[in-house]
Amino acid sequence: MKATMQSLIKILLTMIFALLIGAIFILIIGENPLEAYVALVRGAFNGKLKIGTTLASFTPLLLTSCAFAVAAKAGAFNVGVEGEVFLGGITAAYIGINWTFLPKPILLVACFAGAIIVAALWAWIPAVLKVYYRVSEVCVTILMNSVALYITSYLVSGPMSAGVANAQSLPVTVNLTQFMKPSSVNTGLFVAIAVVVLVTLVLYKTTIGYKIRSVGTNPNFSEYVGISPKKSLIQAMMLSGALGGIAGCIEVLGVHGYFLNNFATGLGSNGMLASLIVKNNMVFAPFMAFFLAMLKSGAMGMQQSTGVPKSLVDTITAVFIIVATMELLFKFGNKKPRRGGGTPPGKTANADIETQTRTGVNLPSAKTTGTPTHNEGEVTT
Amino acid sequence: MDAYVIEMENIVKTFGEVKAITDGQFTLKEGEIHSLIGENGAGKSTMMKSLYGMYDIDSGIIKIRGDLMGHITPKIAIEKGIGMVHQEFMLVNDLTVLENIILGFEPKKGITIDFEKARGSIGQYIDQYKMDIQLNKKINQISVGEAQRVEIIKILTRGANVIILDEPTAVLTPQETKQLFKILKNLKADGKSIVFISHKLNEVMEISDRISVMRQSKYIGTVNKNETSQSELAKMMIGREVFLNIEKASAKTGETVLDVKDVWVSGEKEISKIKGVSLQVKAGEIVGLAGIDGNGQSELIEAITGLREVEKGEILLEGKNITGKSPGKIRSIGLTHIPEDRNVRGLNRTMSIEDNLAAAKIEDVQFSKWALIKKKAIHKYAVGLADTFDIRPRNPQSLTAALSGGNAQKVVVAREVAMNGKLLVASQPTRGVDIGAIESIRTILQDVKLKGLGVLLVSADLEEILSLSDRIVVMHEGKISGEAIASETDEEKLGLLMMGGADLSSSKSGGDLD
Repeated sequence: MKATMQSLIKILLTMIFALLIGAIFILIIGENPLEAYVALVRGAFNGKLKIGTTLASFTPLLLTSCAFAVAAKAGAFNVGVEGEVFLGGITAAYIGINWTFLPKPILLVACFAGAIIVAALWAWIPAVLKVYYRVSEVCVTILMNSVALYITSYLVSGPMSAGVANAQSLPVTVNLTQFMKPSSVNTGLFVAIAVVVLVTLVLYKTTIGYKIRSVGTNPNFSEYVGISPKKSLIQAMMLSGALGGIAGCIEVLGVHGYFLNNFATGLGSNGMLASLIVKNNMVFAPFMAFFLAMLKSGAMGMQQSTGVPKSLVDTITAVFIIVATMELLFKFGNKKPRRGGGTPPGKTANADIETQTRTGVNLPSAKTTGTPTHNEGEVTT
Repeated sequence: MDAYVIEMENIVKTFGEVKAITDGQFTLKEGEIHSLIGENGAGKSTMMKSLYGMYDIDSGIIKIRGDLMGHITPKIAIEKGIGMVHQEFMLVNDLTVLENIILGFEPKKGITIDFEKARGSIGQYIDQYKMDIQLNKKINQISVGEAQRVEIIKILTRGANVIILDEPTAVLTPQETKQLFKILKNLKADGKSIVFISHKLNEVMEISDRISVMRQSKYIGTVNKNETSQSELAKMMIGREVFLNIEKASAKTGETVLDVKDVWVSGEKEISKIKGVSLQVKAGEIVGLAGIDGNGQSELIEAITGLREVEKGEILLEGKNITGKSPGKIRSIGLTHIPEDRNVRGLNRTMSIEDNLAAAKIEDVQFSKWALIKKKAIHKYAVGLADTFDIRPRNPQSLTAALSGGNAQKVVVAREVAMNGKLLVASQPTRGVDIGAIESIRTILQDVKLKGLGVLLVSADLEEILSLSDRIVVMHEGKISGEAIASETDEEKLGLLMMGGADLSSSKSGGDLD
């Protein structure tokens, strides 16, 4: 609990710090930062449309941040969520357009199921490559994002094209209800929340989740107690893919009503960002996703009512990453033993005590998975 | 009277609650090769790392050429002419040998590095000491022996006249060792003083002028090479006092539980680190697997427990072939395993005590149903085990990272013993734990045996092997170098077998060697 409180405080401090840096930039532009931030918040929450828009952009981020965190729990760095969103979307679109012989409710379920299966299988590829051939999942997933994007681009410009000027598919015959019109927020929001809650429960209440967390924090231990690290990592990646697929399905059925080319650009990386900032903590990730969604949807309002460009929001998110990374560097500094102090082999006792004192507060599981991910995060975002 | 280059008196060094050195003494004369020997964890490396300034000593006096030293850092040590070759080489893999040697001390030509000058001055050393080094190769392209020579050259170019070598031969082949010894003799002839840390007695006898022995963090004594023998050194090293001698209870041995048949296993860096090992463990007996660390015991254990691939051969557990089976599968047949490093394999330090205790049985109906974890059942189970095995703190929800070495090890032991398997493989079960925990863990091993399990005990601690085992198998360089009945052998005989060079026939029958 104490560790949870501490990380919560850290996240809040990071947030404030990022906003402060943003304020400095606003001052340099010659605007009033307070006004700008008020405008930002009003832009995100003032009125039904604005709240709806914020919620609408929150929905996919919630899922993609969760998707990234799940993979990270098993020690995998899944940059491929975006590709999974695309493929989940196109599958949902295909089923929603063509399987009209199914009654509406079943068709809806079929859309989700199809999206989940295709996206999970897509994530299975890098997982298998990593587990059996030690191919870095980071490289593979980054590359596979382009592949997924081009597959869908091809489909909506060719075989599945609606024949209009835009590259997009025909409208789907089943929709998720938009309940705060004219904003595009839809019942998919509740689906997303339910799914994320369910996934969190799977991670913390079931043997599947136990194994995934165990493998992510100590694969040697897991192997030794009889858990198969390979199997768990593949499971986690597929679960991660499935979440991406659901996000894609919701975007297609709920927001657009058809498959729009390029619709998911940025969803994967922003979800990854939300997850990374909170060190893949399943409880905090949704809040961070919400915060990012708020920044995004409020940015336009800020730009309109003050002279501050909306790209300032990108500055704030960038500062977020930097601060999160800095904190990690700081931790590294503490961890280092005295100069050249390699622990002599055969002296596990010393190592024991030294590490004990250093890991006084230890964010459960996030620590080990967080460490490699952050460094890579810099490169990929 | 000889002038001492190095004098270390009454050194005390503790790491938290672990006493690494309680009474350290060491002197080094100009131009001698002085070996510092002792078992693993006796404090040899710690002594020398203190001299080199890597550790701050708690109390004691260190004098270099008569100057009383206060706080030493590696930088000061280097300035005073001390150089150390560590067990793990401190070289940059992607730089060439030449670049590594001059790193930090580059001769400059304007703003560029004067490689020609560097090559010249290093060439001198290479010729002088007849070292075989290729300056243009990258570190990752050269052999371990060559990398070690690079380390030595590196130290020499920094002006060292005292050279500390921390178990230099542990990573070398016999041929490379010979080559190293030639170099050391050349260095000595040139007036350099050398500290040679080792636990290989034959090497020590070959190379040293004087030998100092440490045992259990204490200085035992210093002898001249000419006035001692391997067996005397072994006696000094291992000691006569026997602690924690558990009254050995003999149980009726039953069927063969573990049958290892001519097994070959690859090591981390070499193929066939284990070359055709066969051994059996019967129900109700403890078989001790002795040997100096790194002679293949770890690889053999990993092969038996399914954590390492077997090249060829067959391993049977309870009559079932477990070669190449997954660790989970082997566990389900009846393997329980206390791994050698609790922080790598034994525990998941980010998880609570109860999650660690239940880890190997999480799929069991006892702890989960339809993949849902029965948190309460696990908690109850953990509370029970914590009581039985006296794990402190008693709160099973605390993280294992917060436990002391002894209690952390008890969590591992509790989990494995409570599995009620058929075979317990206990690898270094008492390494790095306090005396109290050693005692209780040894008693537990004895109880496990009385319950009718077969126990395979691997330990670097000969005294532990002798006091617990019924039969003892000694490994040397990936092979069984001898086997003995525990009651008919002693530390010296085993020590010789561990060095690989003993009269096999006489020790096999447990006959006298002296």
